[in-house]
Amino acid sequence: MSGLVTPPVAQPGPVAPSGDRDLMIEADDVTKSFGAVHALDSVSVGVPRGTVLGLLGHNGAGKTTLVNILTTALPLTSGRARVAGYDVAREPVEIRRRIGLTGQFASVDGQLSGRDNIVLIARLLGAGRRAAGARADELLELFRLTDVADRRASGYSGGLRRRLDLAVSLVGAPEVLFLDEPTTGLDPSSRLNLWEIVEGLVEQGTTVLLTTQYLEEADRLADSIAVLSAGRVVAAGTAAELKATVGRRTVTLTLDTGEDRGTAGAALRGAGFTPVNGEEDPRTVVVPIDATREIAEVVRTLDQVGVEATELTFGEPTLDDVYLALADQSAARTPV
Amino acid sequence: MTTQLTPAPRPAALRAAAGEAPVFGGSSLLTQIRILTGRSLRAMVTDPGIVLFGLIQPVVILFVLTQVFSKMGMPPHFPEGVTYLDYVLPAILVDNAAQSAMQSGVGLVEDQKNGMVARLRSLPVHPGALLAARSLVGLVRATVQVLIIMVLAITVLGYSPNGGVAELALSAGLTVFISFSLGWAFIAAGAWLRRAEPLQNLALIVIFPLMFASSAYVPVADLPGWLAAVANVNPLTYAIDASRALALDVPGLDHAIPSVVISAVIAVVGMVAALRGFRRPL
Ligand SMILES: Nc1ncnc2c1ncn2[C@@H]1O[C@H](COP(=O)(O)OP(=O)(O)O)[C@@H](O)[C@H]1O
Ligand SMILES: [Mg+2]
Repeated sequence: MSGLVTPPVAQPGPVAPSGDRDLMIEADDVTKSFGAVHALDSVSVGVPRGTVLGLLGHNGAGKTTLVNILTTALPLTSGRARVAGYDVAREPVEIRRRIGLTGQFASVDGQLSGRDNIVLIARLLGAGRRAAGARADELLELFRLTDVADRRASGYSGGLRRRLDLAVSLVGAPEVLFLDEPTTGLDPSSRLNLWEIVEGLVEQGTTVLLTTQYLEEADRLADSIAVLSAGRVVAAGTAAELKATVGRRTVTLTLDTGEDRGTAGAALRGAGFTPVNGEEDPRTVVVPIDATREIAEVVRTLDQVGVEATELTFGEPTLDDVYLALADQSAARTPV
Repeated sequence: MTTQLTPAPRPAALRAAAGEAPVFGGSSLLTQIRILTGRSLRAMVTDPGIVLFGLIQPVVILFVLTQVFSKMGMPPHFPEGVTYLDYVLPAILVDNAAQSAMQSGVGLVEDQKNGMVARLRSLPVHPGALLAARSLVGLVRATVQVLIIMVLAITVLGYSPNGGVAELALSAGLTVFISFSLGWAFIAAGAWLRRAEPLQNLALIVIFPLMFASSAYVPVADLPGWLAAVANVNPLTYAIDASRALALDVPGLDHAIPSVVISAVIAVVGMVAALRGFRRPL
């Protein structure tokens, strides 16, 4: 069975752990079981200093579990993991001194003001009153929170709360930053603000592990990407490699009937496309394309076999497309 | 023509500690406890609702009981020369101690819910620091509440116990100590159960009836036989008797040592259990 796990991207991308590089995050065959649930199954990732690893996966893929293990919140069942050079099982305190975590759900004290939230963490990290205040001012400004700094965090909007949460995780100027779905539920402008901040951090040498369900986000921020599915790394490589696997864009065709899918699929394959049957709607076919002008080719191909599309939508690749393409690839490789 | 673009300078706040020692040097356990206690005290000052809410049950019981019972004849074993108000007030303080203790546990559960615990776990903060802070905050809250009840009773209801000022203070101190030890029991329950409802139910289903099956509102000798049997082994009876003996200068001081010992045992067992429960992964 383990043959199926082989990442379809052939080259050992920057994700493959290797001893001689300056890896700030290193997971080696990490397995985590909750009773009968195998949340992580032999996961190996490596993140060189100053780079971003995007961990892509749907709900339940195991992203949060891996983040929890690497941030020493959860013991692993088997395997080995190191962060900033320290072992998660044996040296958790050294790791905690060097990491920042923005969890999937905001961790701020609603009863305190935004400023007091930052000051509290700075003081716990050992800052004096004055140094904590200065750090709070810096971070409040950076995250455009100065105007609301003295209001209770319980009154903050979701976007404000997220920003405060991120500010709090940066208090100790961590070497390694973990961001668990940092932009889920954010409005586009807050999302952009967060992306820019992450880019700035990386420029300064911070190493980042970011989990996301958005291919677009991983593409923008990540130097390398690992796709997680049901606790396994099913693909790993650079964003470019992954997108090459997926096809840059997709056209989704809705046909009159499900039977038309066979005809359409055969014709499209004949024309050099790699169509995949849509999963949600039994009448849809998803066709990865390389350039916009290929849409015309798709429509013409259908026309030639007398199949009509009642609806045609054009989309940037999503995580679904990644999964579809990966499934398609492994199906193509499986000898019949 | 090309213009040389200079990258905008990055704000200092983004500096990473890459390769260097962490920017802040870490803090001792005592500092952590002090800071986390300060945090909750601050929340208590800006939102005194918690302190006042906890007072509702004891104060309502105090007013209702004194209004009702002062109109009725006293039971046969009632101590001589003592008004019902004087008699019941030490029990009210013990009831308040239990309510306040429950709030310590609820506070810990809230920290687990709002992500504070998850945050602290990713930091070099000792797990015991938050537990100790919750306990200390409970101590402050119980003290403030005892003072409020005493002032209310003296000024509004005319509470005038026979004991001296020092004995009165000792009696109040004993109830605060009981609140401290029950606080650890509730903190342990919060650390294991991680939900607020079971704690509130525990207070309602266990402590509320135990107050009636004790010397709180009626002398044990005047309770029906089975209730008296429960009351005689009920630790709350010891606590109330001791507190009452001090405040009113009536017999019962021999119950002081057992009540302190029982409380101390509850506190120690609670601390150990709380730490163990709290260390489990979220
Ligand atoms: N504490 C837990 N107990 C039991 N199962 C869990 C626990 N945490 C996570 N799981 C399971 O592990 C799997 C991975 O979960 P998670 O890491 O939260 O995924 P993701 O963050 O990618 O959505 C899921 O099937 C989830 O139900
Ligand atoms: Mg998750």
